[in-house]
Amino acid sequence: MIQLKHVTKKFGSLAALDDVSLKIQQGEIVGFVGANGAGKTTTISTIMGFIGTTAGTVELQGQKVEPQTAHRLHTSLGYAAGDMELPARLTARQYFSFLLHQSQGDHTKQYEALSRRFKPQLDKKIGTLSRGNKQKIALIAAFVTDPDIIILDEPTSGLDPMMQEAFLDLVRESKASGKTIFMSSHYLTEVADVCSRVILMRDGAIIEDVKAHQLLEKSGKSVTIITGYRATRPPKDAIDVTTDAHKNGVSLTFVFKGSAAELQRWVASVKQLQDIEISEYNLEGAFKSLYESEEKTV
Amino acid sequence: MMRSVYLKTLYDKRWFVFGWTLGFVALSVLMTSFFPAMRQTGALDALVTNMPPALQGLIGNLGDLKSFPTYIASQLFDIRVPLIAGVMAIILALGLSTAEEERGELRTLLSLPISRTKLLIEKWLALGTIMAISTLGIIIGILASAPLVDGASIELSTLLHLVAMTWLIMVTFGTVTFAAGFASGSRAFANTLGVLVIIGSFILSTFGQSVDWLSDFEKFSLLHYFPAVEIAKNSIDFNNVVVLGTVAAVSLIIAVILFRRRDVA
Repeated sequence: MIQLKHVTKKFGSLAALDDVSLKIQQGEIVGFVGANGAGKTTTISTIMGFIGTTAGTVELQGQKVEPQTAHRLHTSLGYAAGDMELPARLTARQYFSFLLHQSQGDHTKQYEALSRRFKPQLDKKIGTLSRGNKQKIALIAAFVTDPDIIILDEPTSGLDPMMQEAFLDLVRESKASGKTIFMSSHYLTEVADVCSRVILMRDGAIIEDVKAHQLLEKSGKSVTIITGYRATRPPKDAIDVTTDAHKNGVSLTFVFKGSAAELQRWVASVKQLQDIEISEYNLEGAFKSLYESEEKTV
Repeated sequence: MMRSVYLKTLYDKRWFVFGWTLGFVALSVLMTSFFPAMRQTGALDALVTNMPPALQGLIGNLGDLKSFPTYIASQLFDIRVPLIAGVMAIILALGLSTAEEERGELRTLLSLPISRTKLLIEKWLALGTIMAISTLGIIIGILASAPLVDGASIELSTLLHLVAMTWLIMVTFGTVTFAAGFASGSRAFANTLGVLVIIGSFILSTFGQSVDWLSDFEKFSLLHYFPAVEIAKNSIDFNNVVVLGTVAAVSLIIAVILFRRRDVA
């Protein structure tokens, strides 16, 4: 279990985290979403014990996380970050040898299985590898000791689509075997795909903490219509409206959060309707609209 | 091979060790080969006696140039090696502390079940080992070239004493910078402190003997506790070992206390 209780972290006068509280139960897969600078990496850094808190406490498996004692909790914890710097002068094989010597138990089978899955370049110096290949090594390192809790900070940045899918499969398998995963990501479809819960962060504070399916409901629908009637107005609940006039009429694109029946009534009222496209999954739009609506209320 | 931070660090720095060891071999061979010329020339005597007293400290006592142990102690161990070793110590100490943190590799290590204290101590042990291997280059250089140079003979025990104290002063210089790096995480601070200690020690020891107002401060120079010529004439003064060892130990303890608690970027 991961728990943050009223955590504040200040760097000088800047509050990178402002009274953040969250609780992640054993077996949950939680996505952590926010723009750059929202405080995601700072939150993860406090959980890992890389940095201390200015106020509040962080707990892992019921034990307080502090920089001086965090290593004791790392025996059951895996970690990977998108910008993780691995020892450049070692080959991946040497790095895994080093890493496995730091952990308890024999993880050879897990190492071999992960190597087959991700196919990393084991015998080249890590410093000479591409970002994607380095990221494969970081991900294997996070899972290789079969930890109970896995913390991932932008884990798929740099991975090609096939490796992203291989990673998501691994997360699904970990979910099935009861692992706890806390994962920050810019890719909302990825988060919605594998996470049971999504936490949205902005300016060092949590602004939403919802089940993944609730986020989809909050997202509404992305609607685009093309009509020959230039005076067409969007429905009253529409947000993010963009209008593009052309010689045969106008195209309207907006996000609609109302009910399907309301949308249906509005569509029926549109004159000279030429085309319509309704997208069920618009997480990027949801993220943007949630973010912007919170910004307006702050 | 990669069982610990200590072994990993030695492996990471293998080319650094090779290069510096080779450099110390070359320097030792060069200084040994100059001995006959330095022993026989009278021109240097005339030149030095006409120098201002403050500058005479840069050359050393001319009487020391007549026998090989005191020549090599004054010209290699007393002047050149501490300065060169100081530069090496700063480069190595920064490489093991702040450079790794700046690259982000320190976070990667700290994400493993390795305590901050263990990480720091193993890196410091690697620093001491690298310096020990490098100073072996001095022994190899002198022992290999002395038989080929007229009059260049030195007892092995004298040479070992000189090299042991060289290692200790190197470790002390290195530990100050290393400790500053781990304690603060700031390369600028660690570098500045390291340079201040080395250059300050050099200035105090070189000019302190002949400039009145500096002589009172000479004991604050770390080089004051490495009297190479005295070691060549007599032996190691254990009090000097205690002083240098204490400086290194106190620096290390402060680093452990502060590094355990601070944020790692």
